[in-house]
Amino acid sequence: MTTAPGGTNNFKVVLLGEGCVGKTSLLLRYIEDKFNDKHLTTLQATFLNKRLNIKGKRINLSIWDTAGQEKFHALGPIYYRNSNGAILVYDITDEDSFGKVKNWVKELKKMLGSDIVLIIAGNKVDLEHERTVPLEEAESYANMVGAKHYYTSAKLNQGVEELFLDLTREMLEKYEQNSQTEVNRTSQVLVVDDETPVQSSCCSGTKSN
Amino acid sequence: MDMLLGIYGFIHDERLPQRTAPQKVNIEVEREKKWVKMLAHWDTPETKQKLHRRIYKGIPNSLRINTWCKLLQVNRIKFENPGKYQDMLKLGKLWSTDVRQIDSDVNRQFREHQFYRERYSEKQCALFNVLCAYSIYNSEVGYCQGMSGLAGVLLMYMDEEDAFWALAILLSDKRYAMHGLFIEGFPKLTRFLEHHDKILTKFMPKLKHHFDKFGLDAILYSLKWFFVCFVERVPFSLCLRVWDIYLLDGERVITAMAYTILKLHKKAIMKLNDMDLIVNYIQVKLHKDFGYDDDIVIYHLEKSMEELRRAKLDYPGPPPPNELPQRMLGVFVEPDKKSKIGQRAENFSETEKQTRANVILRREKAALELQELRVSQSDTVSEHSGLTGGVRCDDSVSGLGSRRSLADTSVTSTADLSVFSSGRSHAPDNSLDTHSNVSDDGTGSDG
Repeated sequence: MTTAPGGTNNFKVVLLGEGCVGKTSLLLRYIEDKFNDKHLTTLQATFLNKRLNIKGKRINLSIWDTAGQEKFHALGPIYYRNSNGAILVYDITDEDSFGKVKNWVKELKKMLGSDIVLIIAGNKVDLEHERTVPLEEAESYANMVGAKHYYTSAKLNQGVEELFLDLTREMLEKYEQNSQTEVNRTSQVLVVDDETPVQSSCCSGTKSN
Repeated sequence: MDMLLGIYGFIHDERLPQRTAPQKVNIEVEREKKWVKMLAHWDTPETKQKLHRRIYKGIPNSLRINTWCKLLQVNRIKFENPGKYQDMLKLGKLWSTDVRQIDSDVNRQFREHQFYRERYSEKQCALFNVLCAYSIYNSEVGYCQGMSGLAGVLLMYMDEEDAFWALAILLSDKRYAMHGLFIEGFPKLTRFLEHHDKILTKFMPKLKHHFDKFGLDAILYSLKWFFVCFVERVPFSLCLRVWDIYLLDGERVITAMAYTILKLHKKAIMKLNDMDLIVNYIQVKLHKDFGYDDDIVIYHLEKSMEELRRAKLDYPGPPPPNELPQRMLGVFVEPDKKSKIGQRAENFSETEKQTRANVILRREKAALELQELRVSQSDTVSEHSGLTGGVRCDDSVSGLGSRRSLADTSVTSTADLSVFSSGRSHAPDNSLDTHSNVSDDGTGSDG
């Protein structure tokens, strides 16, 4: 599968992390550039889309947000299956939320191997004075497991854009590597030419609701 | 933009459609009179006889509070447990280990509703109190995300203590048995989803096939249907109508409504060739605009219930013991040290492992069935899709034998490759990768 000229790459990204670490806030900051502490609880995974251009390539990210309460982690496989990237979010003022990130890393490695790009995000750096997760510890852990580490503040809009941009670059690289080495295997990403949408063959002539 | 208060208290930033014609208002007034009379003679044979029909027509909003309390028998449990709520609340404020999650969820529940708009408004505090007290009352559940939606709706109509007891009944009364939804591993969710899939396979095999083609597990679109009885998944006016019926007829209503939603929207969903588009349609679009008048939906809901009953698929059976409270309700259990200091679990419990295994298995099974279907289909000559009117179901022949259009078959071919070529043993789930197209209508970005 090769990238057709004018084609768009679709990547699926999943946000994982404990409740209240700011997963939805990061997402809203990135997509809508706003910070809103009145947003809805993410009981059910929901997603938002973002289109961007990297190296002249059109990319569509669908970013899935998940419920944070520990009870829901058992449903994890439903949420992260088919993902090209995962953002594991913790709150720098909450050590246990960092512990939870480690659990997610273990699980994702076990289930998806190196097929998925991992990013660890230490959120709420606006609360730097309350930090309990040591800087070095977080960074060296990320290094060890082959994940990039970012510090973010959805509230102050710090590091968010960079995080998503780098993640997308890495996913694109991985995808291009894969399609070079495994030409015959259907890749995780299907590239479809915008000009000839596949679905038109079954939709034409039927009325919509 | 105009800020308008809808009849149910939600703040809208657009003009609301003016749908109540004068003669409809008159009918409403007449209905209210009948209801007042009926409520005054609740425990009579006449009421029993009329109740079903009248509730399916919708409880007048002004009388909802009384009717819901009567249907749930809130007064009985309240009088049987004098002072209990206050005790639980006091203990909850001292001991509950769920307060952080509760507080964070109260901050995010129904914030566009006039009652919950202001932080620490009276109703926000009431919502916190009800959930906090309940987390002690039912120590097996504690607090689970989703419960804020249930209590939030109840508190729109009831005072704090009544809402607490109503919530208690929804969880532990056998008619609703929501306890099994909110405990570790969500056993009732698993059981009801399996039943839901069975219904789809029987009545709408094409739609089931369509979902499977995109690796769309029912959890991804229906969790809130089961957890909070359609709150924030259908327009609020319709949601209340479904709640009216749910409170009367119990669990069967959820199953039938889930079926009805998909039945009414099958045609539109079948046109969406991407998991994201389908999820967005079911989660977001239908909440904003269901596309059918409430009365029509309820008419179809009632028909679905009949249809499922005839097929003996209306009910997945009574809850097994593990879905019901094991511990005495209302007896204080001191939280263990781990939850007191907020320590998180290192590993999944056995129950959770089972749940995980179940969700993985369900996808694998779907992938396998899809593969079998494809193989058998390649020998089948297809004709037309046989659909009229949008609300009819597939010919209820099994998926293997049903007819498919040529166009349909040609579209599935892109996904065929991914099913047959999957060879990654560590990630069996990935065999259904099918982000097969891109559309330009900014899906979901308005969520």
